[in-house]
Amino acid sequence: MTGDIERFLAVGAALFVLGALGFFTRRNLIVMVLSAELMLHGVSLTLVTFGRVHNSFEGQAFTIFILTVAACEAGLGLSLVLALYQKSKTLDIDFWTELREPDLPSPRVQEEAAQRAYVEASPAQYPRLTPAGRVPDLAHERDPRLVDSARSQTAESPLQPPLVKEVIKSVSH
Amino acid sequence: MQWLEDHWQGVAALVLMGAGVWWMMPRRTEWPKAIGMILALVGAFLLASRIRAAEGPVGETILFSVFATSAITCAILMITNRNPVYSALWFALVTLSVCGLFWLQFAHFLAAATVIVYAGAIVVTFVFVIMLAQQSGATIYDQRSRQPFLATVTAFLLLGALLATLRSSTSDDFHVAAQQTPAAATNLLSRPTENTPIDADTMKGLGRSLFGDYLFAVELAGMVLLIATIGAIAIAPRRSRGTL
Repeated sequence: MTGDIERFLAVGAALFVLGALGFFTRRNLIVMVLSAELMLHGVSLTLVTFGRVHNSFEGQAFTIFILTVAACEAGLGLSLVLALYQKSKTLDIDFWTELREPDLPSPRVQEEAAQRAYVEASPAQYPRLTPAGRVPDLAHERDPRLVDSARSQTAESPLQPPLVKEVIKSVSH
Repeated sequence: MQWLEDHWQGVAALVLMGAGVWWMMPRRTEWPKAIGMILALVGAFLLASRIRAAEGPVGETILFSVFATSAITCAILMITNRNPVYSALWFALVTLSVCGLFWLQFAHFLAAATVIVYAGAIVVTFVFVIMLAQQSGATIYDQRSRQPFLATVTAFLLLGALLATLRSSTSDDFHVAAQQTPAAATNLLSRPTENTPIDADTMKGLGRSLFGDYLFAVELAGMVLLIATIGAIAIAPRRSRGTL
């Protein structure tokens, strides 16, 4: 039975360590809270295993309390995350480094020390649907410019190809 | 130096696993993830081979291997994924694997409760918050990690220390059960039973432990849940103060 116990403990230790690693390295607030939950998983597994070693149900009872506290933690933590997001419009933990002690160096990632950390760059774009047809009239009530831009994309107004032809003509001359 | 000669296999496996996880960390240039995953899994298997072999039935060992492998794989993928939605989904898979491990330890009720609470409630809450707070798609802070090398070294030093402690423990350390008496027997509802084997009558024993030994703690946990609910409602931003 001994090896049986040890392998569960090893998996619990690995889960805890991976959660701690995620908490150290990731900068997204939500992923940090998720990593904390992963650490709780490792601890739960260890508690259940030790409960089995001692042949009592206390490990499982403690794990149920961990479950309760994890649910509370997720609710409170995520509402805090939402409140922080409302203030800063970013989930970057680096935005809140001003809360540190004044004599400590900035923990920001070096390559971004020059630029503001919360400037949103989007290296990868999610796919967008191709616009089909014209914009419904509903937009007209809110912003007339939308209708103008939609009209400019219809077939009535000439689009890129004539311009390109002109450019080629001018270059060839 | 003698220590290193004795333990070089374990150190090498740790370094391998750490290098794999470090390889997969988000950084400016995206490296192929498969290489890191293979490195990490090879390291993990080498580490696992150094743990004392179990003497259980074969089926249980196979089930344990499946659940443990999927738990660690999904955990690595969770902490290294660049998209927080995928992180939340990998976390759901970690939860299911851990529930499998609970199941193998005769914690059936706990496995079911964990599936319901984690995969049913917590992961869904996470996905909702990601949906509310990250509508602009991929962001710069998900593409970079903070001090990946130092953090990986620290974390795997911790893992090495834990596994070394585990390895140096003898089998006598795990046989303390017989002379132990149940603690927390001061409650009126608690019946100090002699230690029955845990594999039998799980639900009954767990219920007696929860509502006997830990009755007041259960009431307190309910109170904590209520307070957390009120607190979450109070903290979460109102629509009147600006929509998300």
